[in-house]
Amino acid sequence: MRETWVVAATSNRFGRSTESARESATRVAREAIEQSGLDPKAIGQTFVANCLGFAEHQAHVGPLINNGLGIPDVPSVTVESACSSSSAALHEAFVHVAGGFVDAALVVGVERVMQMDSLKATSYFADAADYPFETRNGATFPGLYATLAAAYAAKYPTRPEMFGAVAVKNHANAARNPHAHFQKEISMETYLSSPMIASPLRLYDCCPFSDGAAALVIAAKEASPRPRHEPLVVRASARAGAVTALQDRPTLLGLPSTRVAAEKAFRQARLEPRAIDFLEVHDCFTIAEMLALEDLGFFPPGGAKDAALEGVTQRDGKLPVNPSGGLKAKGHPVGATGAGQVVEIFEQMNGLAGTRGVPHAETALAHNVGATGGSCSVHILSRR
Amino acid sequence: MEEVVGGSHSVAEFVQGYESEGRLRGFRCPACGFLTATWGVACSRCGVSGLVDTTLSDVGQIVAFTIVEVPTEERVNDAPYAYVVVELDGGGRISGWMPSVRRAEDLALGDRVRFRPSYRPGLQFEKETSAAAE
Repeated sequence: MRETWVVAATSNRFGRSTESARESATRVAREAIEQSGLDPKAIGQTFVANCLGFAEHQAHVGPLINNGLGIPDVPSVTVESACSSSSAALHEAFVHVAGGFVDAALVVGVERVMQMDSLKATSYFADAADYPFETRNGATFPGLYATLAAAYAAKYPTRPEMFGAVAVKNHANAARNPHAHFQKEISMETYLSSPMIASPLRLYDCCPFSDGAAALVIAAKEASPRPRHEPLVVRASARAGAVTALQDRPTLLGLPSTRVAAEKAFRQARLEPRAIDFLEVHDCFTIAEMLALEDLGFFPPGGAKDAALEGVTQRDGKLPVNPSGGLKAKGHPVGATGAGQVVEIFEQMNGLAGTRGVPHAETALAHNVGATGGSCSVHILSRR
Repeated sequence: MEEVVGGSHSVAEFVQGYESEGRLRGFRCPACGFLTATWGVACSRCGVSGLVDTTLSDVGQIVAFTIVEVPTEERVNDAPYAYVVVELDGGGRISGWMPSVRRAEDLALGDRVRFRPSYRPGLQFEKETSAAAE
């Protein structure tokens, strides 16, 4: 395998967009290519992540993005892995570049969902579960994570404040992030008084539906020109799968695919969790951040429930988690989320994160989950 | 428990089983014995094919649940309701909904529930005690 770099990473502001997915994706992709210093024609393939394109009557958006970039001859493929689509697209790009099939690849993640009302969006998101065996039986996306939260709380006694601390922390981080959907802090009182969505999950336990786009340029070390910013080395790009329907899993405590992807990633990178300076983890719901920290190996089972409350995972804590604000507050434009996590790591490592910066970070981990863990990606990135 | 070797029934037959026939269809793995109510052509635990058609128990106990306050379009007029994961007697877990349960304090882990045939989409459960009272 060739040493492979992230040479450029860009994102728009997540939130409500007046542009189509095609337009916002093309704009951030153009910015990424310019940042990379590469001739656009040097892109060997475009990997597009877009889950709900049918909601704006546009499938097969990859060629349209390449047309708009002036590289219509470049092949594209859409990678769909629910909420982990763009980390899956990054993995595919990594495989192509590291394997020597192309010297440089473009990863574009994009979603536009905010033109839908909440009822419609709730329905679309629930379709990423096992439709006949979960969704048809009453599951919603928050409902499934609420089921995991209930199982977790039954095994490891929790207080609402433990979940609330995750929300308060991630909103505080997002308040310093110009890419974030919600650039405002919330108090514990606001969290505790927010309405139930699916018990025990309240409104402020849940990530928003967001529009957004993020783009990455991946290149082989030997093919990299003079990018505007310091490239990051992809130390690991690992994926794993698991049974989709929660009822068929051996346990409801954690996500098995995270555990497997993390084991693969740490083995690939030849690193231990203690080498990681900060993390961007998949916190579609507050419980998801707790489960991720345990499944990734940073806390023992049941050990992450008070990590945020005790300040361990705050930006200036021992292990900063989601300095971007996470899905919870930076936002969750499904197809763009995984690439957006890498944009955060790229900006942090390049000193572009402003007041949300994590000082002296050398190595970081991105963790992105598809739905309730039917898919999972873990990437480990380091400074050169 | 009626069993047919071949694992031939379809996703639609699973759904029709509980929505039209009053029966919880399932598969039993001939190798590891795993029982599932989810369609496949091989066991999701051990990968062995040749799943055996079977009928799962109508009763079981709740192993996880939530009260859904914000539903999908299919249940826009039903929320709040309970979404439950049930461990069926004799083995196999299945998910379902309980339209009659609207508050978290009205349900507990370990509660006994019974499959309730209904014309409505999805698999319904009700508390076993209320079934006995009817």
